[in-house]
Amino acid sequence: MRRNELDEMQLQKRNKIGNQAFMLLFYLLMTDIGLYGFGFRWLKYPLNVYVLMMVCMTYYLIRVVWQSSFVGPQQSKKTMGKKTRYLTGAVGFVAAVTVFIFQKYFNVIPASNGQDDGALILMVFSIVLIIIAAGVSFIAKRQNKDDNNSM
Amino acid sequence: MLLKSRGDDVGKNLRLKSSRAAKDMSQKVLAEAAGVTRQTINAIENGDYNPSVNLCISICRILGKTLDQIFWEDDDDAEK
Repeated sequence: MRRNELDEMQLQKRNKIGNQAFMLLFYLLMTDIGLYGFGFRWLKYPLNVYVLMMVCMTYYLIRVVWQSSFVGPQQSKKTMGKKTRYLTGAVGFVAAVTVFIFQKYFNVIPASNGQDDGALILMVFSIVLIIIAAGVSFIAKRQNKDDNNSM
Repeated sequence: MLLKSRGDDVGKNLRLKSSRAAKDMSQKVLAEAAGVTRQTINAIENGDYNPSVNLCISICRILGKTLDQIFWEDDDDAEK
């Protein structure tokens, strides 16, 4: 078995959870379409799909971590090296400066007429995603710690 | 009868547990040697997971036993 791979039980569990999450997403989307057809709109169009996807993704991640199928048996510690950290920071900085310059001096007109809240949804989506990823990483690290009651 | 099909109540594999204890190995040590997680070894011992033949062979090699000695379940054992 190669390092950093899930073992057979973990793979089996992860596949099972993946199938469940997919079916959950399918049924939720179908239900949403049904509700939409009956005239019940609980959220505006793109947002409802995002929320359903988030629900399913959160379900998948929580179940995978809960079933100890997130990290493999001999997973090496994933830490960013110094170079990677600097590079990530530099890329972020350049992106921020570029966006600022474009906004300030080139007066970019938004593609939409201001009614589209896709940007807001994407931002919220990204923030929630980061929070979930951080939470999952934290739980996975805790799970990966050696436990002494294994005799 | 070898291990029952997946999803059935396989029953605790006490022979694996005793063989491991006889070698003074923890679940973690055995799991590392077999290339699986400790939870997998624990699940096999508790009968919650039915391992593949490859994993059975790997465990047997580590413990110095044969497949029969650890994973074969005859009718008497099944009735217990």
